[in-house]
Amino acid sequence: MQAPGVQVYDDARLGQVGVRLLTPENTNLFEGSFSLMHCAVQGDTLYRGVYAVVLFPVSQPDRFISLRYTDTNDRNEKEREIGIIDDLKVFSQEAQDMVRKSMAKHYFERRIIRIHKIENRFGLLFFKVETTRGKLDFVMPWRGDRAEDYGSSGKVLLDAFDNRYIIPDLSELPEADRDLLASFIYW
Amino acid sequence: MTIMTSKEQGIPAVLCFRRIPDGVREQAFSLGFSDQALLFAVRSDLDLAGEPAEVWTLVAEDRIAALKAGEPRESPVGPFLLKDIQKVRSYQKVGSAFLQVKMDGLYVDVARFSNAERELFGRVARHIQRRIEGQPLPESALSAQSDMRCEQCGLPLPGRKAQCPRCRGGRGIFARTLGLMRPYWPSILLLFLVMIAGVCLDLLPPFLQKTMVDRVLKPEPGAEPLSGAESVRILLMILLGLVVASGGRCLLNIFIGRTTSVIGTRITKELREKLQAKLMSLAVEYYNRHSVGSLMSRVLWDVDYFQGFVTQVAQGFMLNMMLVLGIGSMLFFMNWKLALLVLLPIPFVVVGTTFFWRHIYPRYYKVWDSQSKTAQLLSGLLSGIRLVKAFSQEDRERRRFGATAGYLQESRRSLETSVATFNPIMGFVFGLGGLIIWYAGGREVLQDKITLGTLMAFFGYMGMFYGPISALSMFSNWVTGFLSAGQRVFEVLDATVVVVETKDARPVSHMEGRIEFRNVTFGYDPYAPVLKNVSLTIEPGQFIGIVGKSGSGKTTLVNLLCRFYDPLEGKILVDGVDVREMKQQDLRRQMALVLQEPFLFRASIAENIAYGRPDASPLAILNAARAANAHDFIARRPLAYDTKLGEQGAGLSGGERQRISIARALLCDPKILILDEATSSVDTESEQEIQKALTTLCRGRTTIAIAHRLSTLKNADHIFVIDEGRVIEAGTHEQLLEKQGVYYKLVKIQTELTRLEVQ
Ligand SMILES: Nc1ncnc2c1ncn2[C@@H]1O[C@H](COP(=O)(O)OP(=O)(O)O)[C@@H](O)[C@H]1O
Ligand SMILES: [Mg+2]
Repeated sequence: MQAPGVQVYDDARLGQVGVRLLTPENTNLFEGSFSLMHCAVQGDTLYRGVYAVVLFPVSQPDRFISLRYTDTNDRNEKEREIGIIDDLKVFSQEAQDMVRKSMAKHYFERRIIRIHKIENRFGLLFFKVETTRGKLDFVMPWRGDRAEDYGSSGKVLLDAFDNRYIIPDLSELPEADRDLLASFIYW
Repeated sequence: MTIMTSKEQGIPAVLCFRRIPDGVREQAFSLGFSDQALLFAVRSDLDLAGEPAEVWTLVAEDRIAALKAGEPRESPVGPFLLKDIQKVRSYQKVGSAFLQVKMDGLYVDVARFSNAERELFGRVARHIQRRIEGQPLPESALSAQSDMRCEQCGLPLPGRKAQCPRCRGGRGIFARTLGLMRPYWPSILLLFLVMIAGVCLDLLPPFLQKTMVDRVLKPEPGAEPLSGAESVRILLMILLGLVVASGGRCLLNIFIGRTTSVIGTRITKELREKLQAKLMSLAVEYYNRHSVGSLMSRVLWDVDYFQGFVTQVAQGFMLNMMLVLGIGSMLFFMNWKLALLVLLPIPFVVVGTTFFWRHIYPRYYKVWDSQSKTAQLLSGLLSGIRLVKAFSQEDRERRRFGATAGYLQESRRSLETSVATFNPIMGFVFGLGGLIIWYAGGREVLQDKITLGTLMAFFGYMGMFYGPISALSMFSNWVTGFLSAGQRVFEVLDATVVVVETKDARPVSHMEGRIEFRNVTFGYDPYAPVLKNVSLTIEPGQFIGIVGKSGSGKTTLVNLLCRFYDPLEGKILVDGVDVREMKQQDLRRQMALVLQEPFLFRASIAENIAYGRPDASPLAILNAARAANAHDFIARRPLAYDTKLGEQGAGLSGGERQRISIARALLCDPKILILDEATSSVDTESEQEIQKALTTLCRGRTTIAIAHRLSTLKNADHIFVIDEGRVIEAGTHEQLLEKQGVYYKLVKIQTELTRLEVQ
């Protein structure tokens, strides 16, 4: 019997109408023409030119990967989903590499590890930072909508051209850098 | 020819015409490129893996390839022959984008670039597409002026096509705030004079005390002794002087306080009004980007800083400056050696206050942030209260609020405890300064070098000296805090009005109601179009139906017509005039809009119906309600038309709310009536009633009805079927049925559904 006050959810029923899960058993990933990722699903067809999108890029960066393709038969070239990979690690190494490569293509973010200088001129913030890819300068309008929360303790900064600069965890910045940032970006 | 755009940020984007760039020449030659056949080369800042690199995409008359400069061993992308390419696109991903070509039904990546270059590559993609289609290629189309940088100085702009903050020569926040005070300059001048008088009065008491001590209480040994009566007379005189000085000071303080408060509150009121007016004038788009909570804190709290500004400048900076100068000169005038000792603690004071501002002031920001977050949470919570209850999430919301309240508490605690620690320590340092004077000054008195009165006066002045000093060293930093609040306020005031009204906008008094969309392309994000090259014409007085799946862009079409947004490309004409050239108010006055989600204000039903026409007669209101089939349910309420509605129309059903908003639109007697799924929550029977009324009312006015229930559109003069931001079918109901296309399918599905309903 069900304990009083404890709600039991029948997720299996939702699963019947939900997303399609791709597993190594029903899915074959391989490199096809133009070195693009192709994907054959059992009982379905072959999809060419497949790419991967992470569905929880902040909270679950390694799981729930949606495989998608551009439907060139459709008049509007719609993007469609083939299915979802819950855990990539159960796939073969080659398949994993291919999906990871595709994910790396989907996201381009610079990760900030040090902030050397922030200068406010004409309502623009001129940043001098160090990223995982080296030193960098960028210019960001000093506006509330240009810096947003990233997960529970990080920030995303958007520069004047919408390039993305990520501080995954503010507490990992050196204290002086954090104070410097907080004196401009405190929201 | 080589064109370089500004080097302000990162690697410069470069275009080359008719010459293969240096780093890739050899590779290019080996792939069959030549300078003569090259149309252009464009440089991107990333390689396909996303590493910073110098990559050249070469576009020749017959082929295209991407080569990495200086790395001949790395295999190039391509070359692809243009004749194999069906299509070219710039494909936006997260943070970067790709130039892709379609071959054999597949999109293949050619080059990758950061968002900074997507404007350029958008042009490149269109350019190559034209080449494939055999259209002429004007080179100037590639190197056209950027919307993202200032034409003159290359500075990145705060928004697309925004004014350059450097070249506009905008004044700083400080100067602008002083500008706000300009209307009050006579009062401010008076204030200034009064302050000088006040400082003089402040300087008087210690001086009188000195005289009192030295001449009356403890006359100097050498001085000629005074008679008893004489002493008392002088004592009284001095006391009277003290009373006058402090009384006068009191009066002046009252005056200064009242005046600054009058000016300060007036300026803040004006600013609040300006902010509100600005918020009203900002395009709908602004509110997609900014939280209501943060906007509210600006209007409510940040503006208060401006009152502080008046107080600070009047009572803070100027007054303290004059006091420091006045007292300082008195001290040096009385005894310069002691005066030098007085200056001894000053370095500590300055160091201390600098420390304060560096480490403690940022905590003020946190307090602001926590306040604005709390306001945000609360306003979301209260307006969504029914949702919270429906999903029984009260506990979670309580916890969530608890966490925010905790953040507010923590930020305040951290601020106030550090202030509470700092102030006594500074007090102690000042105290030490006093002790030095006691020692040095006491010795001087004992050695009869100075009189006791002088020492007393010295202490009097000294007590008044450190306060202004520390206030002054805080001032520059107070400015920092003020600047950030000012920045938040001016950020709103300066927000680019995306939908601008041109100065010579035409007033429109009469409208026929002829509407034309001419090749309109629009996206909320300019790089992801929602409407794609839409062209359609609506004749005056026509009843137009628009159908399409949800998300296909129907509401967007309406948003553009009402000019909540402007199209990126193309034009919208009303009576042959571009809507951008019309006065916005005139345009909207001729239109009435019934939204998908009706919004009702917290007011009576009658007031809600009359919102667009507050002076409407009661009879007109009744007629409008009757026509919208709302009259009966309103009449059944105990307070009928005077029924007060709750927040967002609480107390009414969805269909009732929609009917009230239809009544509101009808009452305005618009030339163009727009119904955006206005009857989606109304039952079929009421809908038919409304439909009947509409057929009468719509005669002579252009009506655009967006509807899911296709039966309502049967009598439409013309129906447009929208899909994925394009008009894919158009015609009358019968024509579209005959065509057996998308519309036909939709109708078939719906009739099957109705049959089910009937059974
Ligand atoms: N304010 C907005 N910001 C960004 N995208 C939006 C906004 N409003 C609508 N969209 C997107 O534009 C597309 C068309 O929306 P809309 O015109 O509202 O469709 P509908 O045909 O259902 O009325 C949708 O994909 C929607 O997600
Ligand atoms: Mg809609």
